[in-house]
Amino acid sequence: MAKRITIDPITRIEGHLRIDCEIEGGSVTNAWASGQMWRGIETILKGRDPREAWIFTQRFCGV
Amino acid sequence: MNDQKADTSQEPVSTLDRLREQGVSRRDFLKFCTGVAVALGLPLGMGEAIAEAVANQKRPPVLWLSAQECTGCTESLLRSNHPTFEKLILELISLEYHETLLAGCGKQAEDWRVKSMKENKGRYILVVDGSIPVKDNGIYCKIGGKTAQSLLEEMGAQAAAVIAIGSCASWGGIPSADPNPTGATSAHEVLKMKGITTPVVNIPGCPPNPYNFLSTVLHLLTFRKLPELDEQARPKFAYGRLIHENCERRPHFDSGRFAVQFGDEGHRKGYCLYKLGCKGPETFANCPSILYNDVGAGAWPVGTGHPCFGCTEKGVGFTVPLHYPARPKYITPPTFFTEAYPGKPEVAPGTKALAAGVAGAVIGAAGAAMLTGLGKKDDENKDKEE
Repeated sequence: MAKRITIDPITRIEGHLRIDCEIEGGSVTNAWASGQMWRGIETILKGRDPREAWIFTQRFCGV
Repeated sequence: MNDQKADTSQEPVSTLDRLREQGVSRRDFLKFCTGVAVALGLPLGMGEAIAEAVANQKRPPVLWLSAQECTGCTESLLRSNHPTFEKLILELISLEYHETLLAGCGKQAEDWRVKSMKENKGRYILVVDGSIPVKDNGIYCKIGGKTAQSLLEEMGAQAAAVIAIGSCASWGGIPSADPNPTGATSAHEVLKMKGITTPVVNIPGCPPNPYNFLSTVLHLLTFRKLPELDEQARPKFAYGRLIHENCERRPHFDSGRFAVQFGDEGHRKGYCLYKLGCKGPETFANCPSILYNDVGAGAWPVGTGHPCFGCTEKGVGFTVPLHYPARPKYITPPTFFTEAYPGKPEVAPGTKALAAGVAGAVIGAAGAAMLTGLGKKDDENKDKEE
């Protein structure tokens, strides 16, 4: 029977990351990484003046 | 984090000793505190009071909650060019929880948050960066399986004060831009919806100036209360004046000298950026006076030749299109102009402000360069009335 481990939050990175691992016989057999935050910037950009797109896109990540 | 904690919990050395170890002399520290006192609009002598308050008490515990953020606020704090700044901020506060900076992960991190909250109940400062999504029960931001909304409610209720850093936490910022797909909301709105009355101070900006944040923390430490706030809960010392009032390009505005296109002659000569969509006339912030990154004059958006886009102002930044002209509804005379004719008897007090208001209406309506000789125009109007 596989054991499942969840590490959430993953720290020392920018954003909100979660890792799920399935462990069987001492080794990882399956793993999932998932972003835990969504702002919908693609949706926000739709229909805007292209000259101001950079104001939004440059703020995907501040690191 | 846990190892580091073992050291600080004993608190055997004073803040000054710790700073000395970091290569910050007492003199540097006092200079820094005096600078903060000046930024806060306090008398010079208050620098010493701040230094004393900081040196003689246990560092205030700070828990940092990140919601829908880009970490730009944290970066602006940590990557300041001033060599001692990041040391100072990390030595002045005890940063208990911060997702990006914590060494421990997952359960370790969350256990530490809960433990620290319990130990410092009612005493800690909660810093929030990023907006909080409330649409669909807040599922668009989760930390350790809990929504940012529920974490803010839990952590905000037990905090001594909440500092919302950045435009997102202050008024929604970029995630709240139309059509606001996630219901991104400011920290104070989320607390208000839940009836939580912990005092909130907003430090908007994208990113905000680190000195405005630090000055607010030091004010809290020294006087045990928040600085004076405006109606949007922003500290008045930092957000009391329009960008337009202190802008180094203001004389060009008043004389009708504008850049009309990027790279044109006016732009190259450093003329006013109003016609390129500068939102300085409707944005309250101290950017032109405090500048960024300690690299000297001109280190702020307008100084580098780009119009202000109003990031500190709800309803302007990320809302009004970038190149759409500002709506200068609160035009006021610049702070550094003197009366053209001091003591001239027929100019009633306030006429100058009124004239500026009229000029604002003119540019607002026609967008034309009709600002040459504000004072003269005023006098002409006066003559007509008489």
